[in-house]
Amino acid sequence: MIEIASIVLLCMGAFFYFSGTVGLLRFPDVYSRLHALAKADNLGLGCIVLGLALQAESLAVALKLLLIWPLALAASAGISYAIARRADALGIRPWRREDT
Amino acid sequence: MTAALLRRGILFALLWWILSEGRAGSWGLGAIAVAVALWASVRLLLPASGRISVAGLFAFMGYFIWNSVRGGAQVALIALRGRQALQPDMLEMQLSLRSGAARILMVNALGLMPGSLGVRLEGDRLRLHVLDARMPIAVAVRALEARIEVIFREQP
Repeated sequence: MIEIASIVLLCMGAFFYFSGTVGLLRFPDVYSRLHALAKADNLGLGCIVLGLALQAESLAVALKLLLIWPLALAASAGISYAIARRADALGIRPWRREDT
Repeated sequence: MTAALLRRGILFALLWWILSEGRAGSWGLGAIAVAVALWASVRLLLPASGRISVAGLFAFMGYFIWNSVRGGAQVALIALRGRQALQPDMLEMQLSLRSGAARILMVNALGLMPGSLGVRLEGDRLRLHVLDARMPIAVAVRALEARIEVIFREQP
């Protein structure tokens, strides 16, 4: 049962990482790419650490895996803001539908 | 002060227990690590400087996790549908958060909420990028702000 839940979570994690990367390649400008990377990869990582924690040998190992998530979350949120702020300071205008 | 130190000490000891994966032999080094962490935490953040609401923090965490899951799923679907699903825009809003920690939490959390990305926060003016201007982002930003106000006990 736990085995199946773990496999499902790992597959979901892989799917979200995949779609985050698809977004990175497909989206038109720096701002929308940041949306794809920060949000989809955060969810992908959450699913993967949860899936791995279910298979962990002890409670401490499971908690250690789960701790990775808030750390990566804080880093990716902070970095997204820093990149977006810099892009805005450089005067990069967001892509709009009309400019295709 | 003593209570705050005790709380933090317990938290750091728990963290060490997790990082050392519960190995009993590691507590010699662990005691030093906990002491140093405690010292650094008091230097960097005085216990008296911020009384946060623990209930507010838990409510925020629940709201945050649920919405970051929504945000991730939504952007994954948009990515798979391609750029014709996008309608990006920049929004300007007024924020009333005052303390530094509250403002940092706000701009960082925005990037993980559905459809929004904090771009600049200067004074009380927040500039944010939205993936789809048809989504009710302004309402969501207000809701997030209200929850952060509760954590830091700021009156709107």
